[in-house]
Amino acid sequence: MKLQAGLLALVLAGSLAACGDSGGGSGDADAAASARGPISIWYSNNAEEVAWGKQMVAAWNSAHADQKITAQEIPTGKSSEEVIGAAITAGNAPCLIFNTSPASVSQFQKQGGLVPLDTFPDGKQYIEDRSGDIAQQYKSSDGKYYQLPWKSNPVMIFYNKKAFAKAGIDTTKPPLATYDEFLATARKVVAAKAAKFAIYPAPSNEFYQSWFDFYPLFAAESGGKQLVEDGKAQFNSDEGKKVAAFWRTMYADKLASQEKYTGDAFVDGTAAMAVVGPWAIATYKGKVDWGVVPVPTSSGKPANEIHTFSDAKNVAMYSACKNRGTAWDVLKFATSQEQDGKFLTATGQMPLRKDVATAYPDYFAKNPDYKVFADQAARTVEVPNVANSITIWQTFRDAYSKSVIFGQQDPNEALDGAAQKVDELAKQS
Amino acid sequence: MRLRFVGLLLGAFVFLFPFYYMLIGSLQAEPDPTVAGAFPEPGNLTLHNYGEIDKAINLGRSLVNSGIFTGGVILGTLVFGVLAGYALARLQFRGRGLVFNLMLLIQVVPFQLLTIPLYVLIVRSYGLADSYGGMILPFLINSTAVFVFRQYFLQLPAELFDAARIDGASELSILWRIAVPLVKPALLTGVLLTFIGPWNEFLWPFLITKQQDLQPLAVSLSNYLTTVSARAANPFGAVLAGACVLAAPAVALFLIFQRRFISANISSGVKG
Amino acid sequence: MRRGPVTRALGEHPIGAVFVTPYVVFLAAVFAYPLGFAVYMSFHDYFFTAPGAIVERPFVGFDNYVTVLSDPAVRRAFANVLVFLVINVPLTVVLSLGLSTALNSAIRWRTFFRVSYYVPYVTASVAVVGVWLFLFNSNGLVNSILGPLAPDPSWLVNSKLAMPTIAVYVTWKQLGFFILLYLAALQNVSKDLYEAASMDGAGRWKSFLNVTVPGVRPATTLVVLVATVTGANLFTEPYLLTGGGGPDGASASPVLIMYQRGIEQGNPDIGSAIGVLLVIGVLIIALIERRFVGRED
Repeated sequence: MKLQAGLLALVLAGSLAACGDSGGGSGDADAAASARGPISIWYSNNAEEVAWGKQMVAAWNSAHADQKITAQEIPTGKSSEEVIGAAITAGNAPCLIFNTSPASVSQFQKQGGLVPLDTFPDGKQYIEDRSGDIAQQYKSSDGKYYQLPWKSNPVMIFYNKKAFAKAGIDTTKPPLATYDEFLATARKVVAAKAAKFAIYPAPSNEFYQSWFDFYPLFAAESGGKQLVEDGKAQFNSDEGKKVAAFWRTMYADKLASQEKYTGDAFVDGTAAMAVVGPWAIATYKGKVDWGVVPVPTSSGKPANEIHTFSDAKNVAMYSACKNRGTAWDVLKFATSQEQDGKFLTATGQMPLRKDVATAYPDYFAKNPDYKVFADQAARTVEVPNVANSITIWQTFRDAYSKSVIFGQQDPNEALDGAAQKVDELAKQS
Repeated sequence: MRLRFVGLLLGAFVFLFPFYYMLIGSLQAEPDPTVAGAFPEPGNLTLHNYGEIDKAINLGRSLVNSGIFTGGVILGTLVFGVLAGYALARLQFRGRGLVFNLMLLIQVVPFQLLTIPLYVLIVRSYGLADSYGGMILPFLINSTAVFVFRQYFLQLPAELFDAARIDGASELSILWRIAVPLVKPALLTGVLLTFIGPWNEFLWPFLITKQQDLQPLAVSLSNYLTTVSARAANPFGAVLAGACVLAAPAVALFLIFQRRFISANISSGVKG
Repeated sequence: MRRGPVTRALGEHPIGAVFVTPYVVFLAAVFAYPLGFAVYMSFHDYFFTAPGAIVERPFVGFDNYVTVLSDPAVRRAFANVLVFLVINVPLTVVLSLGLSTALNSAIRWRTFFRVSYYVPYVTASVAVVGVWLFLFNSNGLVNSILGPLAPDPSWLVNSKLAMPTIAVYVTWKQLGFFILLYLAALQNVSKDLYEAASMDGAGRWKSFLNVTVPGVRPATTLVVLVATVTGANLFTEPYLLTGGGGPDGASASPVLIMYQRGIEQGNPDIGSAIGVLLVIGVLIIALIERRFVGRED
């Protein structure tokens, strides 16, 4: 028995000693900032973005034989944060990831995994020149940029024209501007059996699901407020409570479903509307005859005053990168007006440029469907760039799910409770 | 007897129906959630969903990778796991209790708790990123299999071993000549349950390798499912087709080997 | 046998230590460090950093444990998993023992039956979950067969039924493995005992109770322990089947919460504390079960 205990202690002691080794040197940041040579990048794995990425890499590599890019795909969605987090810890993250979620930036930054782009002499200037005022939302709490705002998918309301026609609703200008109009239209659709549900936001409990139900409407209602501002939760304001009450009615009257759906409810006609950004247009081609309107507000604000959630993905430089000079050059190359244009053409997603609506007149002339998103892109709200960002979203989601979706608690009470917890979380850094 | 047969038949229906439904769903051009959808309808059948998968991923390469990954794990478990299981069941040595308790402890620990430290260890200390070695290592010896092996070695009658030892046989030859042949069904059970883990494992091989030509089938398929399928003509069918592709080799292997479970019979072997 | 000093120090068969060496090296190389690390993290204010980043990770004693235990979501997840075990483990034992006994007899289509019970076990949960979602959603096949008897809200979004549905799903999914364990064990029950029982005039049910059940007791212990351990580590199902432990946390499991806190939200110290508590909890349950089901040797 004694021997056993001794062995166990030895094994544990050995493993604890190993914990102390953090290894590796941080290196001289200034020297790294100008170092040039081969680099690796990751991009998202959806077909259109891969096509763009391959083209971008080929264009760069043909002109820079000594500073080649190696590129790999990583998944979008659930697993990508996990993969990036593990790679940061192991020190084998690539130089650039063209799929960095703004919600994860504060966490990666805290891990020491990101290179502030301000370390490059023209870093700050470049970001602010390219994106304009919107860039401010992507600044971290220490005033630095750890991400380059890259592209957004301003979220709007898509509706199925066929379903609306069946329910006797105007298909060019459907009444969806105010909550009352929206609810009346939704009831009509369901009553006419034009679709099983009026709209189908994912009712599941993942932290990011609120970006596609509560948050866009909250951004619109509050005139562009973030979920948390100046270290205080904003969502339990009157505006936030109005949004919650609106969705509560949708669920209570079974206009939206509490059940997780396999596949795309909008595409197969189960839902007559969807809250989504322009990336989805490619998937609707030939399947849905759709129209699009801004998200509703209680008073029916005019379209040009409506803010929405940006659903942006950004580019960040990771601290494992050795040849940061090259990485910065690639970053600028990949977000140049020319490459942004190619990205827009390939994916239909909006580069986060201040002039996106005017910079690519040919594209928008040929694809008028996308024009409305370019206009909306000027008024988007990002997730707040604060410490504990994901914990805050999960806290919010838990409260929202319990009260608004499942009606187990009064929504106002739930939001107040969540706000209290979120205030605590936002205070820590 | 008849009652038992009917009961088994009902049970088999409950067990197989979802798979039948999976197969039918994967062949449908349009999803059909009604009761009628459970029956094949010639006009609505297509291999299109499978064609899409074949186009999107390199099935041959992925299967080879899955084979190497799974094969490595099975080999490791069979060689080292049987040795350990036998020692834990039949040999008295110092530290046996400790090893046994460690084995139980490992069983109890959720893999998610270890993921990131393990990743850091294997990538940084062992330098095994982007390699089959890194993929296989954490699964190399399946502790559940060791546990099962031990359990079956324990069930063998002690006289058998005492007799062989008195004859002066070495432990290795007792294990190889006497014990292993007697627990063949248990060994196959061990192989099968070891097989399932790496074959269906998604997160670990994905973390450890970003190179697509190293990724096993489960990883390529989940990649496919998260991205491509949402845009497929019939997303539900695409998901189910992916599920069928992942399940088919495992089911086929089981069909090939299942005869052996039945043929071996320990009690007759012991007495004979 | 006389026990000399060497035997006393090393045991009767020191060669056994050689046999287990590869396994022990494997455990040490792959699990000891991460596990020790997890315990270490749970007592510190810890988060993962890039190599070379210098941060403070003060020792905080039981702070993380206090945080975890005072978190209602965590307490709920532990309660949920108990509900899961109470349904899953007995169901698994009864069904797998019953089915394997039936399968062990000479019966038509034996091969077909064995294969059908094994199929769910071989298939990845990721793959099967899709079908279950389709079968069990509110207008799915199950509800359309049940008609007016269908529960409202439907199975997976009903806070009372979500966890039991998952427990049934997991039983269904894993049963093949346990049937295999029992089948192998049934080969060991001596035919003489059955003959003796039938000579005494025992019916089929009697001989099942008096011969089969005691005969496969070691396997039962194994089944109970393995089912408990896999059940306690429940993750994939609430992650995929009920969209992150819904509705409203009714199907959240400790491992799911650990994953959310530790990996998604970047608080591995909190995650580790949940993990350590879970490990301790499972060990306690396993000990109690061993007491009740009987020791295996």
